[in-house]
Amino acid sequence: MSAPAVELVTVNVDGREVQVPKGTGMIETALAAGVEIPVFCYEPRLGPPVGACRMCLCEVEGMPKLQAACTLTAQDGMELRSAQTSAKAAEGQNAVLEFILLNHPLDCPDCDKGGECPLQDLTFRWGPSNTRMHFPKRTFEKPIPISPTISLDRERCILCYRCTRFSEGVSEDLQLVAAHRGAQSIITTFEEEPYRAHFSGNVTELCPVGALLPSTYRFRARPWEIDNTPTVCGLCPVGCNTWATTREGKVQRILSRNHPEVDDGWLCDKGRFTFDHLRAEDRLREPLVRVRRRGFEAVGYDDAVREVARGLREAGGSVAIAFSGGETVEQASALARLVRQGLGGDAAILPDDLDPAVDAFRAPLSAIRDAEICLVLGDEPVMERAPIVDLWLRAARRAGAEVVTVGPAGSVSTPPGSAAATSAELAGGGGSDELRDAGRRLREASRVAIVWSGDDHDSGRRAATLAASLGLGDGSGLYVLPRSPNGRGVAQAWYEAGEGRGFDPSGEEELGALIVSGDEAAYDPRVAQLAERARFVFATSMFTGDHTLWAHVVAPGTSYLERDGTVVNLEGRAQRQRRVVDPPHLDELELLARVGTELGVPIAPWAAEATVDDHAELAPRAQLEAPPEFAPAASTNGAGPGLELVVYRPLFSGPGVERVESLAFQRPAPEIELAHADAQARGIATGDTVTVGLNGSGRALRAAVRRKLRPGVARIAAEHADGLGSHVEVTKA
Amino acid sequence: MSPQPLPSLKGFAVTLRQIFRKPITQEYPEYKRPVYPRFRGRHRLNLHDNGLEKCVGCSLCAAACPADCIRVVPAENTPQNRVSPGERYARIYEINMSRCIFCGYCELACPFDAITLGNEYELSEYHRDDQIYTKEMLLAPPIKQVPVADRERYDTPEPVWKTES
Ligand code: SF4
Ligand code: SF4
Ligand code: FES
Repeated sequence: MSAPAVELVTVNVDGREVQVPKGTGMIETALAAGVEIPVFCYEPRLGPPVGACRMCLCEVEGMPKLQAACTLTAQDGMELRSAQTSAKAAEGQNAVLEFILLNHPLDCPDCDKGGECPLQDLTFRWGPSNTRMHFPKRTFEKPIPISPTISLDRERCILCYRCTRFSEGVSEDLQLVAAHRGAQSIITTFEEEPYRAHFSGNVTELCPVGALLPSTYRFRARPWEIDNTPTVCGLCPVGCNTWATTREGKVQRILSRNHPEVDDGWLCDKGRFTFDHLRAEDRLREPLVRVRRRGFEAVGYDDAVREVARGLREAGGSVAIAFSGGETVEQASALARLVRQGLGGDAAILPDDLDPAVDAFRAPLSAIRDAEICLVLGDEPVMERAPIVDLWLRAARRAGAEVVTVGPAGSVSTPPGSAAATSAELAGGGGSDELRDAGRRLREASRVAIVWSGDDHDSGRRAATLAASLGLGDGSGLYVLPRSPNGRGVAQAWYEAGEGRGFDPSGEEELGALIVSGDEAAYDPRVAQLAERARFVFATSMFTGDHTLWAHVVAPGTSYLERDGTVVNLEGRAQRQRRVVDPPHLDELELLARVGTELGVPIAPWAAEATVDDHAELAPRAQLEAPPEFAPAASTNGAGPGLELVVYRPLFSGPGVERVESLAFQRPAPEIELAHADAQARGIATGDTVTVGLNGSGRALRAAVRRKLRPGVARIAAEHADGLGSHVEVTKA
Repeated sequence: MSPQPLPSLKGFAVTLRQIFRKPITQEYPEYKRPVYPRFRGRHRLNLHDNGLEKCVGCSLCAAACPADCIRVVPAENTPQNRVSPGERYARIYEINMSRCIFCGYCELACPFDAITLGNEYELSEYHRDDQIYTKEMLLAPPIKQVPVADRERYDTPEPVWKTES
């Protein structure tokens, strides 16, 4: 497929000729000519320009009045004169800045934006040096916490509408709006409701002044006092590129670092605000060794290493390991080699186990935006599993793509757990009319994006089969969303260390030793059951938890901000995670290296400088060997009394998030989502308290009625589903 | 005899002449010579008339400092604990006097005249740690006083910002 020929036009900017493709924005055109036009409201990622701030005023030949350059596009023969050569434009620009500063408090010494503030910079370079304003300035109450993580200072707002455009046109949460008119215009949320959305933090980076600022960074540091380390977020399988800001050895904030193929410069609130868990009170700081009757005793690393080596050696090859999926590839590979080569064990619980077949349809996430049709399969909301993917899907929809969601809450409604069966139907052209129709359109389109978001993905094999049968070519992509941030990298490391796959932990026989790597694994009930059968349990974790009751040696673990290594995201892109701050103890890799020395497995105590920091590239597509056949679809949960329960894992959950106070408001409310028909039949409305359970025993939850949800299905966040079966009865309390 | 007898003799003559002069040695520390009024010595943090601190903890002094010897850690004023006017105050303000080069840039950078350089130059300590002046020390009047020469005798013009704004 050849790219359509671009028509070049010649534009004259300040007497310099440039050739740019027709339709290029004037700001970029001027930049190509080496002329900088100052802007506030212009931000191409927010959609079409609005021309709200008038900072970019320029003189255009043939137009009588000054024009906002950001709203113009390059036309042939256009002559543009910026403030640098046109006195009229300079006067206009000065006047605009004077107006912007009319009611601006200029409390820069107090303001956290000071030093990195576009308004400061532009006033310094382009603005007038004095003001003629002699009246008292307009004042507002400040700062207003529009959510526990963001504070708003309305006095500083220059009404560029970047924040509201983000909320309306990018994240589409529609929560931030401008109210009132003229000088009294304010940015506000709906009736004192907090700004509760997965991407709310981005507005603090978009705001060109100090009006929207993260409360977590309030009065923490100045730009000349900080270090920014480029790293990669380790909290979900997207792997957004980030800057971690540190001051005096502490992480103070996380900023996005635009990787146009992965995140487009957006970052979810989990990635942005979870860093506080590093300072959680219940963090482990020393290795603990169980001492009979006295519980745990803190020991030095020498003793801990000796104890671990002894325990593992005595296991005599009967060793199992449980991974969290958050480890770096280097950590996982060290553990895998320790178990497989050092101890002769061959059993692992892998959080994710994707089949290499999915790599035959590998594509950058940005390809979703360019797709003609997107197909989303599975029970889990994409937003909760890999939030950025949801943003890309929204971008695709805005760009005119059709987004077909197939699932219990999808545009094509299917029962829970039926993604596997549905995919076979889609591939074979069977199923309901809607499905057959969607299958036809998928086959006809040349650019398709398939997102598979559910646990029934059969290692991604089924997804790859579907992709192959739909004939996905270049420009199309298949995205199987893993459960854990680096699940793909961990599985890869495990297989590279030896033969054989993971194992099924539901046996009965006794286990010599169990290694539990990381908090996610330690919190997994399957792992806790396994530990009961193990003679020796060695765990690494950041925090204390139940496992400190059953493990024999617990070593303190590190967070993704404290270690160095490689992570592989859902696309299969290997990216570099950097140590941003030093952990308060030895990091896992060093500990493993020492254990390795005892057991005769050479392990390097640091990560090799192999992967790049900046804009990691995606490896080319793998070759697909003979397209796999559809295995018979796994049976769905089957019928039962009451409503079928779909349990999803919310984004704002996990050991790190739970320890961050300012994110508590983002955690899912104790709520059960009900389909409209079911709610009506039971006389339930949104907000009612309902009893959820079976046979009379139940718990009280709030009801939320969803029109999109399939009748007969109820949806609930995992943390409120404890002890509920696969089917529940819901009654009004 | 040196190969250049004449210059050597000249030198001896200078020495000889000095022997009969009155010595200019001053008996420091019993006698402290007054410093010029604009001498830049140990810093002070200033207060408003109502007792609030002028410093808001904006860190501009730390940015201006070429020796990187100022550390400011800000915090938020609350109605219960109001330290400065406005939203922000310096919870920690430290100057490492052993690194300070007394250039006075911090004074220039401060938007509130909160930090000024005083006249005291007796800053030696037995331990380097004691060279770190905390906010409390900088707010308090200096213990060791240094005499200052008569302001009238030196040309110290009123700063522009005092006369023109
Ligand atoms: S927004 Fe910028 S110009 Fe306004 S007070 Fe803050 S730092 Fe100063
Ligand atoms: S709050 Fe910031 S981003 Fe929003 S309109 Fe005001 S200046 Fe623009
Ligand atoms: S940048 Fe052009 S009007 Fe705001």
